[in-house]
Amino acid sequence: MSDHGAHGAVDAAGQGDHGAHGAVDATPPVTGRPTQEELAERKARTRVPPERSGDIMTISMGPQHPSMHGVYRAVLDLDGEVIVAVRPEIGNLHRGLEKLCEERTYHQIIPLTDRLDYISGFAMNHGFCEAAETLMQVEVPPRAQYIRTIASELCRVSNHIMWLGVHIMDLGTQTFFVICFRDREYVLDLFEMLTGARLTHSFARIGGVAKDLPDGFEHRCRKVIDFLPKRVAEYERIVKHNRIYYKRAKGVGIFTADDCYAWRVTGPPLRSAGVARDLRKDEPYAAYGEVDFEVAVEYNADVYDRFLVRMKEIRESCKIIRQCLDQMPDGDFLARDAAHTLPRKRDVLRESGAMIQDFNQVFRGPQVPKGEVYRSIEVPKGEMGVYIRSEGGPRPARVRFSTPSFYHGQAVPPLVEGETIADMVAIFASIDVVLGDCDR
Amino acid sequence: MTPGEDTLQTLPASLMTAVEALGSTFGERLVERTEFRGELTLSVDPAAWLDILTFCRDDGSTAFDQLDSLLGDHLPERAEAPFAVVAHLLSHTYGHRLRVKTALAEGQALPSVTGLWPSAGFDEREAWEMFGVVFAGHPDLRRLLTTDDFEGFPLRKDFPLKGTVGGRVRTDLRGKI
Amino acid sequence: MNEERPFLTVRDGLLQPALEEAAQPGGRLCLPYGEAAGGEPMGGPVHFPGGIAMPVQIERVLGFGRSFSFWPLLFGLACCAIEMMAMGGSRFDISRFGMEAMRASPRQADGMIIAGWCSTKMAPRVVRLYEQIPDPKWVLAMGSCAISGNIWDTYSIVQGIDSLIPVDVYVPGCPPRPEALWQGLEMIRDRIKQSRHAYDGLRRIPARDLLAASAGEEPCAPDASSAPTPIAAPAAGTTA
Repeated sequence: MSDHGAHGAVDAAGQGDHGAHGAVDATPPVTGRPTQEELAERKARTRVPPERSGDIMTISMGPQHPSMHGVYRAVLDLDGEVIVAVRPEIGNLHRGLEKLCEERTYHQIIPLTDRLDYISGFAMNHGFCEAAETLMQVEVPPRAQYIRTIASELCRVSNHIMWLGVHIMDLGTQTFFVICFRDREYVLDLFEMLTGARLTHSFARIGGVAKDLPDGFEHRCRKVIDFLPKRVAEYERIVKHNRIYYKRAKGVGIFTADDCYAWRVTGPPLRSAGVARDLRKDEPYAAYGEVDFEVAVEYNADVYDRFLVRMKEIRESCKIIRQCLDQMPDGDFLARDAAHTLPRKRDVLRESGAMIQDFNQVFRGPQVPKGEVYRSIEVPKGEMGVYIRSEGGPRPARVRFSTPSFYHGQAVPPLVEGETIADMVAIFASIDVVLGDCDR
Repeated sequence: MTPGEDTLQTLPASLMTAVEALGSTFGERLVERTEFRGELTLSVDPAAWLDILTFCRDDGSTAFDQLDSLLGDHLPERAEAPFAVVAHLLSHTYGHRLRVKTALAEGQALPSVTGLWPSAGFDEREAWEMFGVVFAGHPDLRRLLTTDDFEGFPLRKDFPLKGTVGGRVRTDLRGKI
Repeated sequence: MNEERPFLTVRDGLLQPALEEAAQPGGRLCLPYGEAAGGEPMGGPVHFPGGIAMPVQIERVLGFGRSFSFWPLLFGLACCAIEMMAMGGSRFDISRFGMEAMRASPRQADGMIIAGWCSTKMAPRVVRLYEQIPDPKWVLAMGSCAISGNIWDTYSIVQGIDSLIPVDVYVPGCPPRPEALWQGLEMIRDRIKQSRHAYDGLRRIPARDLLAASAGEEPCAPDASSAPTPIAAPAAGTTA
């Protein structure tokens, strides 16, 4: 393209061309990892200081907009194309899920958690079950841990593939959306085979999972995870060196590690800022302590790196699933704990003990000690913390889901102020906000 | 929840150092220290809330640089201080976690920690909206998840699940449609 | 496919019979919509300038043409939106029916697929979007949440969007599979071919009628069942 020189031009006022292209073309290529100072400097260079000079136009981006992240509303104050201020408004999808949890027993809450981050339903089930099991001191058998790990990683793969499709669609193309949804169908078929549902799985139970791996699942799962990394390589080949994507994503939306800590931004945006924090490695739960995988880390803290982190996470997830299938132990898929878990369905009508256990668990609920727990797990979008306070009955007294999208939605003003609207779309897509997760 | 010296051994050493530093600085303003399921909870005096959390963030031995979650709670059975605010802290340097909570009476305000961790902004707004706990010094304390003219504090135990607008006719939509 | 019977009846069973009756020639609306509104009924047969009714054959041709390019509004609220997007993918391919052009602007859309629960905060916006879609328009309530609020019987969720806007087809499921949505869209296409709308004969959209009818009343007290019950009956939808 012959107009590269114009993109790099910087006028006397020091304000570069607002597409953030100035940073890419004007500086020499950076080899190695940027330091925090360099990142802060790049951020300051690519952003226009948000001063209210000239005409400010206020528009409302949302709640209905073509960007497919749900009904998030951002009231933007614009000075030309530059965003001077953002006031986010969430709550358009608020259900009162936490209040509803207080009226339901622990087993009945599991289908509610599915609908939190509905793209990765099992991961939410898993998080809640981990917290409830910590509270009730239920020991989950190893086979169940491995099945949960496989299902969580399939959720991660499905989430990141869908994220890619939606992200690229936000940037303008439709083709990638269709490609990604086609590949996601393979993972959804696996879920349908395993859990019975494509999207809202409700598969985890207190003490394990609902059913064992069906016949043929392992064979099919291996075929899918052998095939998906090749697909990811194809995505990277198309997207990574695509000139348009590079210009729209490189150097855009820099959010350093300190910003991430302050705004509680976790997951891929944090890992793209150079912080190798992954709860699967740092505080292992389920079978993550027994499998070998790398944490996906990049160092430039921009939209491009968040893409790279997620693609690497898909590959690592396939690796984890393969190891889980190889090392799958025999045994129960659900703990045998009459006070806290449901019995196996096929025993309920055959054994009186199981029938009584079923009756107690369904009609009265589990016997839970008094206390409070907070467990945090690595769901595909970040770190979800589940806080349960129990006063001793079958229902919790207070449940709080500290979901990643809630905090990422809050972090939109510091991420986006000073950027242009076009960059805002790219940035908002890269931090992966889903409103069901955000509003609960 | 039984405090006891033997159960505290399962906590990480860095957290023990941090808690000792907190204990020596604040003494009796840390009202209670409990350990349950491998997690440490400090109940503190609301007057010392901001000081303790500032120390938690800034001191080298505690170094809690991330506020993982801040939430409100309602315990109507505790008549003299029915509300609680619970903060979960995480340290990236040491990897340890802490829960700090405080008990509040009806109408008692708590200083906001948005100056320490900006992520508390939405958390405190939600706690205000759901429970009615006022956070003094919060830059923008208004409703977050419910409609702007919503009346009542939904997560309080005396607020009905189905709300105060009953029936098929949503009278709270009157004037808006 | 029997379009005389609805796919799913709403909980009080009054809506569909009232609409059926009103859609008959010379039909009038009875309760619960009443005559409080006044003004012209919505929908109905198209008239040429001068008051001459359009012949049915021309209307059928127009309907046939419209049914092959129904462009819904790009409006996904929650989990059902993901299945709607999967329908746009290549496996289920909504493009075979000409619907892949989901319009972002309601002015350019032919209808709405309400995919997900509608909260009271979002309700005025849903109604506004519905009203901004020009006639003729069709609405598909996708998923249990849009039909009746599903399990979210709480303080902030509208228990079924048919109390806000007239709905043509209800597609149950949580979320409905793309094949189920496809069947619902086929039913919408049948209605398009016959130029039948859910608002034929209505004087106002349901939300305004209901609010106007209750103009003098106090807000209802919450019913006793909203208090927590001492023994938990198994909640609908959970598997033991």
